Amino acid sequence: MQSWRRKSLWLALSASWLLILLRVFPVLRLAEPARRQAGAPQGWPRWLDAELLQSFSQPGELLEDGPQPPQAPRGGSCYRGACFDASRCRGGGLKVFVYPAVGPISETPRKVLTSIEGSRYHTASAAEACLLILVLSPDTPAGECHPELPQWDGGKNHLVLSLHPAPCLRIFQLGQAMVAEASPTMDTFRPGFDVALPLLPEAHPLRGGALGQLQQHSPLPGVALIAMAEERGGWRTVGTNFSACPWDGRCEQDHGPKQTHPRATLPNATFCLIPGRNPDALHFLQALQVLAALQEMPLTRVLALRQQAQFLWDAYFSSVEKVIHTTLEIIQDRVSGASAHPSLLWNSPPGALLALSTFSTSPSDFPFYHLQQGSRPLGRFSALIWVGALGQPPLKLIQAVAGAQHCAQILVLWSSKKPPPPRWPETAVPLTVLDGHRKRTRFCVMREGRGTTLLSQASDRFLPYSAISTDAILSLDAHSSLSTSEVDFAFMVWQSFPERMVGFLTWSHFWDETQGGWGYTGERANEFSMVLTSAAFYHRYYHTLFTHSLPKALRTLADESPPCVEVLMNFLVAAVTKLPPIKVPYGPWHQEAKPPLVPGSPRLRSEPRPAAQDCINQMAAGFGHMPLVSSRLRLDPVLFKDPVSVLRKKYRSLEKP
Amino acid sequence: MCASVKYNIRGPALIPRMKTKHRIYYITLFSIVLLGLIATGMFQFWPHSIESSGDWSVEKRSVRDVPLVRLPADSPVPERGDLSCRMHTCFDVYRCGFNPKNKIKVYIYPLKKYVGEAGVPVSSTISREYNELLTAISDSDYYTDDVTRACLFVPSIDLLNQNSLRVKETAQALAQLSRWDRGTNHLLFNMLPGGPPDYNTALDVPRDRALLAGGGFSTWTYRQGYDVSIPVYSPLSAEVDLPEKGPRPRRYFLLSSQVALHPEYREDLAALQARHGEAVLVLDKCSNLSEGVPAARRRCHQQQAFDYPQVLQEATFCMVLRGARLGQAVLSDVLRAGCVPVIIADSYVLPFSEVLDWKRASVVVPEEKMSDVYSILQSIPRRQIEEMQRQLSMNPARREGWSAADCQRSSPTPREQCNSEIINDRIYPYAAISYEDWNDPPAVKWGSVSNPLFLPLIPPQSQGFTAIVLTYDRVESLFRVITEVSKVPSLSKLLVVWNNQNKNPPEDSLWPKIRVPLKVVRTAENKLSNRFFPYDEIETEAVLAIDDDIIMLTSDELQFGYEVWREFPDRLVGYPGRLHLWDHEMNKWKYESEWTNEVSMVLTGAAFYHKYFNYLYTYKMPGDIKNWVDAHMNCEDIAMNFLVANVTGKAVIKVTPRKKFKCPECTAIDGLSLDQTHMVERSECINKFASVFGTMPLKVVEHRADPVLYKDDFPEKLKSFPNIGSL
Repeated sequence: MQSWRRKSLWLALSASWLLILLRVFPVLRLAEPARRQAGAPQGWPRWLDAELLQSFSQPGELLEDGPQPPQAPRGGSCYRGACFDASRCRGGGLKVFVYPAVGPISETPRKVLTSIEGSRYHTASAAEACLLILVLSPDTPAGECHPELPQWDGGKNHLVLSLHPAPCLRIFQLGQAMVAEASPTMDTFRPGFDVALPLLPEAHPLRGGALGQLQQHSPLPGVALIAMAEERGGWRTVGTNFSACPWDGRCEQDHGPKQTHPRATLPNATFCLIPGRNPDALHFLQALQVLAALQEMPLTRVLALRQQAQFLWDAYFSSVEKVIHTTLEIIQDRVSGASAHPSLLWNSPPGALLALSTFSTSPSDFPFYHLQQGSRPLGRFSALIWVGALGQPPLKLIQAVAGAQHCAQILVLWSSKKPPPPRWPETAVPLTVLDGHRKRTRFCVMREGRGTTLLSQASDRFLPYSAISTDAILSLDAHSSLSTSEVDFAFMVWQSFPERMVGFLTWSHFWDETQGGWGYTGERANEFSMVLTSAAFYHRYYHTLFTHSLPKALRTLADESPPCVEVLMNFLVAAVTKLPPIKVPYGPWHQEAKPPLVPGSPRLRSEPRPAAQDCINQMAAGFGHMPLVSSRLRLDPVLFKDPVSVLRKKYRSLEKP
Repeated sequence: MCASVKYNIRGPALIPRMKTKHRIYYITLFSIVLLGLIATGMFQFWPHSIESSGDWSVEKRSVRDVPLVRLPADSPVPERGDLSCRMHTCFDVYRCGFNPKNKIKVYIYPLKKYVGEAGVPVSSTISREYNELLTAISDSDYYTDDVTRACLFVPSIDLLNQNSLRVKETAQALAQLSRWDRGTNHLLFNMLPGGPPDYNTALDVPRDRALLAGGGFSTWTYRQGYDVSIPVYSPLSAEVDLPEKGPRPRRYFLLSSQVALHPEYREDLAALQARHGEAVLVLDKCSNLSEGVPAARRRCHQQQAFDYPQVLQEATFCMVLRGARLGQAVLSDVLRAGCVPVIIADSYVLPFSEVLDWKRASVVVPEEKMSDVYSILQSIPRRQIEEMQRQLSMNPARREGWSAADCQRSSPTPREQCNSEIINDRIYPYAAISYEDWNDPPAVKWGSVSNPLFLPLIPPQSQGFTAIVLTYDRVESLFRVITEVSKVPSLSKLLVVWNNQNKNPPEDSLWPKIRVPLKVVRTAENKLSNRFFPYDEIETEAVLAIDDDIIMLTSDELQFGYEVWREFPDRLVGYPGRLHLWDHEMNKWKYESEWTNEVSMVLTGAAFYHKYFNYLYTYKMPGDIKNWVDAHMNCEDIAMNFLVANVTGKAVIKVTPRKKFKCPECTAIDGLSLDQTHMVERSECINKFASVFGTMPLKVVEHRADPVLYKDDFPEKLKSFPNIGSL
């Protein structure tokens, strides 16, 4: 009995000890790691039964969520699919009709109307159009806001456009119409349906517009960090060394050195701060300590922002025409769905207005995006030889070009009155004769009805012929003279600059003080700004751009005076690239073998005729500015005319025939 | 303990009567110990196995043990969602403040179980997906456990599926959160909004100002710039492992795999199939399902059965049609299978559309155009389809079935990271992630460059350039260089980098008197990289790096070089050109300084370049190249050539004809053996840099720049740069 009791006592004791140990020991063990990670945040727990948790949805719930019938648009809420009938834009794509102005209208709506009428989407027939635009004028009295519009139909497929706050916009029964207005509020703006426009000054130019003022990539040292628009008008600048928040009255410290500028002159600063209408916005910015953030912004980002802002200005904002055409392009993109511009085309130079989605939606097809895409243009070229009205078959030229290393094919554009010869020389590459008459014949019939006959259309040579299968085109005239070596070298150069024109003969433009206008000359000079398309490499995209994006008036002008075509093509490429063309060496011996001059056709190193001189001024007016850029250099082979054995030189025949 | 003591007292009295009682006694003791173990110690032993998770300090370890909160019936309910909310009106940005990393801080409320007055739970405590989501937040850089420092609050109340919660009571539960404050800065997650019969497109739970990350937003419930649209998670994505399939032609052109479609849609689909035959495959539920296969994993077309989601990989385009809800889980499956989604759900706000460019990875077709969908898709060029497929397939996040873009590589749930980053971008827009970072698959980034000086412009000549002469002690030669360079019209400043710490530069009076400011910078250490430091004294964009022994360049040549730089401001424009070649015997790169027809580098002993490249060289040079160059006292010019070519993707411009340069490679003066060692060292540099860059960025060209009239038959006195190429 005793031993039983002792045993049971001992057992009880040991049991209680065990319990105590079990309780205390883990606590001790716990203390150890907890101390190790003192200060570390406690995370969301790892649940023991995490594996057992149920899924958020029942099996099958995701499969069958109760089929719903297609829904009719809900009242007041418009989006593209519901309020815009894109099927009306089938066939010829977006066609835009604009209601003519009723009575006298002010300057800005007039510019808007002109811009729409100048667009390639414009049509004069309301029945044909799939987008009808009503331009609101800011001076229309509120009482006359309801014009009689026979096609209105509840606003379906309509765009109500106002560059300035128009009282009508608030009164008008917009119905299902899209609204394009400056600075819309979030409450009324329907994303993906309405279009937000920039608020433009009254004096905004119709076309062209001031080029961006950015002359260098990085900010000048010592310029103010930030310039702030003030309520009373004017600007206040803040340098880089300051400690206070300069826009807020609550700041205790001194505002530091600051300068004020009148409204008219935008001060020279890296950033410009334009507070919104909402007073909260300022506090929002202040809370973010924007200034401190801007100061610390990495140089790379500052550079990128500067350049992008400048690009956006030049591409979309600098004229009323650009703003309007951008609006139409946005709607065109919505209509075309899958064949809309990819974002890259909108957001990198030269911008979506100059990168036509009708050409391609694949960036690598354009000459501009090879770096971003990590791609390169096709390594071959098509020679396109234009045989003008009185031209002869250019047999020698064909042989020279066909011998070039990267020539893929030769296309002869036969526009001569004589029939093309039945036999062409044997060449290593395929030779195709394109009938340069086909297009013209149709045109002639049309013109003949009015009693005029045109001999040839100079701009026909820049049509986007489907036979052109390569990225590069070597554009030639029948009487051009080139050696195989020159072609080879020029093509190598073009591959490094696929967005530019690479040519042999050059013109330069100049400002003629006596005439008060632009002039151009073919005389040899220390600089040049145009290359002759009678012998030049360029990307085939420029044929599409030339044919489809240029205003009709400019192309007609060019057709009337053939040297003008050269000018126009150079204007176009310069306006797109903002860079000069490239000149490569051209043997002086070609001049001696110059063929007899053909009247009415562009000649090699021909002096532009006085009648043609004026075309450059009309072109400049048409573009709204002078896009040509001068270059002072020529690209030669690396060992060009160097005192080294001629056997070492790859392009030795460039130095002697 | 109490029990055992009690038993101890009683025990002895009982035991004498029953001999076998001691057994029961033992058993009872053991049970007590066991009970004690279970009650107190058991869980503390567990952490042994999950020690690595580091959650020692967390008390509760089972979801079932979370604290219970009873909501009184009359506890406040928040306002319905405020549709006019925007970041600057409903979001308190002061809480986020400015912090050096520009990262928002996210706090997660501890998990609790909410029950109504009657004790009925308001929702399931937490779903597997929501738990994973919160775990992901907690593991990210955004997480904080300090409620006072947080800028964004995430309730642990699971709102993913509106069908599994009671709307009013859940709202009451939200309202009693400690920092609720009308929902300001609170972020709620929901994937399946609405319920029968009308299926709202946003969560019906009143939430006041809280931000909603929701699946299936429509344009009229989505608060632009405030809410975040997220994809609906598909559980299949986690279950099934799909093998990688490249962008190759697929068996079906168009596939529809959804089972619950409205009869009207199904008719349209049937018509499509009738018209286009084999190219279109329309799948439905299987009527006679074989045993053991879950219904979700099989689809049938007439009698033919297909494995789902594998069948999605057989199609080029896959339909994503709206059901009762706009957001469909099938979108996740389709994305994951690398099938280009054709989204037919009017007004649907696509997931993460604020940052992701869906145009590049999907086709959106209006509902009314459904019958034309085939011809719409046919009109898409082959190349564009391939680009869409590449956009999908290059995408690691696709594997998670969450999103169309790579939000956060290799993280467990990229979707939540996406949310945080989107909101982070809004709060710190200036630190925002670029469009390219959101949308470009890594493969695109690899082959492509984004030139930091992308805007085409020609800087004005009036700005001029700054010449930087790196010198050690060749004072006489240095003074000659200074005198020569000062004759160049466009020189605006001359900077001498005095790299000799043992010797002072000559006194001011001894320096040549020149027409532009001359500054001497003394360096702390004799390092080659001092030549490329972005000194504050450089006020022009153009920099001319010139060695202190380059005296053979004429003023015309230097001025012309500057003019060429103005036309190519993003390139290195230099005089002596060099070439890299692939040595097939040695299987590595080789440096070449002979008279070649090609050029891929220019020596920076005399070269113009943009000042920005000094910044890049000093602060952004990849790997250890900068230190390596300083240690070897060689190849800083090659490194600069690599750097510029890599960041711009463009070749150098060599200007003017070749001259005899007095430089380490010019063999006529130095001995042959020295020359050979030098060439070996330079070749080594190229191989070293190519391996650090992971690629060979140098571009080879066959041209150089000369004045327009160079060597032309033209009166010399009329040429702008007559004195070019003379010795």
